[in-house]
Amino acid sequence: MGRIAEHPILGKAPEKDTVTFIFDGKEMEGKEGEPIAAALKAAGVMVHRYTKKKHEPRGIFCAIGRCTDCVMIVDGQPNVRTCITPLKEGMKVQTQYGVTAKEEGKGAGL
Amino acid sequence: MKRYDLIVIGAGPAGLSAAIEAAKCGMKPVVFDENAKPGGQLFKQIHKFFGSKEHRAKIRGFKIGDDLLKEAEEYGVEVVLNATVIGLYPEKEVTVKIGDEVKHFKGDAILAATGASENMVTFKGWTKPGVIGAGAAQTMMNLHHVMPGQRVLMLGTGNVGLVVSYQLLQAGCEVAALVDAAPRVGGYGVHASKVSRCGVPFYLSHTIMEAEGDEYVTGVTIAEVDDKFQFIPGTEKHFDVDTICVAVGLSPMSQLLAQAGCKMLDTPGGYIPECDEFGQTSIDGIFAAGDVSSIEEASSAMIEGRIAGVSIAAAAGYLTEEERKEQCGALESALGSLRKGMFAPENRGKILKETEEGIEISTNLLAKGYVAEDEITRYPGFVKKAGVHPVMECTQNIPCNPCQDACPKGCITIGENITSLPVVDVEKDCIGCGMCVASCSGQAIFLIDEEYEEGYASVTMPYEFLPLPEKGDTGTALDRSGKEVCLAEVVSVKSAKAFDHTNLLTIKVPKDMADKARFFQR
Repeated sequence: MGRIAEHPILGKAPEKDTVTFIFDGKEMEGKEGEPIAAALKAAGVMVHRYTKKKHEPRGIFCAIGRCTDCVMIVDGQPNVRTCITPLKEGMKVQTQYGVTAKEEGKGAGL
Repeated sequence: MKRYDLIVIGAGPAGLSAAIEAAKCGMKPVVFDENAKPGGQLFKQIHKFFGSKEHRAKIRGFKIGDDLLKEAEEYGVEVVLNATVIGLYPEKEVTVKIGDEVKHFKGDAILAATGASENMVTFKGWTKPGVIGAGAAQTMMNLHHVMPGQRVLMLGTGNVGLVVSYQLLQAGCEVAALVDAAPRVGGYGVHASKVSRCGVPFYLSHTIMEAEGDEYVTGVTIAEVDDKFQFIPGTEKHFDVDTICVAVGLSPMSQLLAQAGCKMLDTPGGYIPECDEFGQTSIDGIFAAGDVSSIEEASSAMIEGRIAGVSIAAAAGYLTEEERKEQCGALESALGSLRKGMFAPENRGKILKETEEGIEISTNLLAKGYVAEDEITRYPGFVKKAGVHPVMECTQNIPCNPCQDACPKGCITIGENITSLPVVDVEKDCIGCGMCVASCSGQAIFLIDEEYEEGYASVTMPYEFLPLPEKGDTGTALDRSGKEVCLAEVVSVKSAKAFDHTNLLTIKVPKDMADKARFFQR
């Protein structure tokens, strides 16, 4: 996907500090204070969570905190709306399975 | 429980405008908004707005947002962010979730300016990551500077679908197609034309059969539908895309008003509160303004908000009836002129066959997104004369008139009626300044000089993409449909502060291409 370095109307993207965060155990970079979802989008991450019953993938949908499709586990807390939660240095972001962090075998976390 | 003169729910264009007017009269309003930043959706609107001077036409939405915030600060409007109003009660009380607490406030008056939310349609695979609302695309690219996708298919040709498609192109994304189940383009033709000439195909009477991909969208199949919106077998078309954008209308977020017991109306435009001319609902002291009371544009929401603010101040005794009448009168006339043209309330749901002038509407525009070459000549903005002159491809009645003030030589006339089609006076001498080109929010004005050079014509067009071509660049001219028609050379590129990021790109094309070439591609 990528970032828009320069835009014909908005000009250059505002300079923000780069921060490091952990997504499912991998180190990733994003811009401080941008929504977690924006950092993931720029890094090409599409799937934020899997639904509880049917294990279907979900990602960004409304991007304004309304639909809750993009919720993930952030610093241990599930159901965090990543599209409106600002990214901070060292954040631990995990794909959410149902309402838990890891799918521990069939039936677990359901 | 804290008490306020006025509690406004929503710090978007309507809510802020109302709070500003109330504060101007001496009231102490508070505005609650669930978001981290005020301004509602205004800061995602990077296009120039329609209207006239009084509506701040040809100014981009996010600049209007900046000014609104400054005005709110100037009048001391208290804005509480990250504050979600979760309850509204007929006694003019609200419960607000702030952090982990729920707080209780009472107002002498309450204004709901909660806006609207996006509609959705379902199709096979619609829940996959990569299917997003058009608003989400705007949020990502215009607020967060992140591309929503590399290759996008847009469902919906209303103004949101058209404007966001253009913004996707500006963000550097590829738009594979614009698709709509309706047989006609839903939004303004000028918005469709500026996308069409960039080479984006329109598929009317088509909709999505399936979003493909295991974990996320990797493609989409659309097919034609019959007049009962059933798929026609054998008409399937596949596109490799990573993103599907859905722009199928908005619904008022009127839940709080319904909860309070306001009388509600079930209309084709959504579930809305019954309001009087001042924006007051059936409950005395509870008002509504902006999209929550009827889906319109930000420009009208701001005026509605101001009317409500003035009315609330008058009801509370901060203005005399005479003062209220004077202030509301001016606002109502401004609102009235915005509610004219093809999207006027009386035209809702109607299929317009001709313009107010009695000129037949372009059928090609409605079916394919651009005016055909043999149709464009019948509009009063399309003229031919010796030397450089404007050609205005404005073919529908839009409440918008900055072009007539932009021309220092008086070449362009719209007249008293803001929605009239622009007329070009060939007797007046165009100096080729291009102010009209940059002033047109619909990007529908071109400067043509058929005698630019022996055998060659020049075409000047509005250009809002990067990288900006340079003088001497050669490339291809595209026609209104986005089809390559001839080689072209860039002979001038003008950028000026007064143009507000609309660059004027002049290309040289063979003389017989003067009426065809409408876009440049390197």
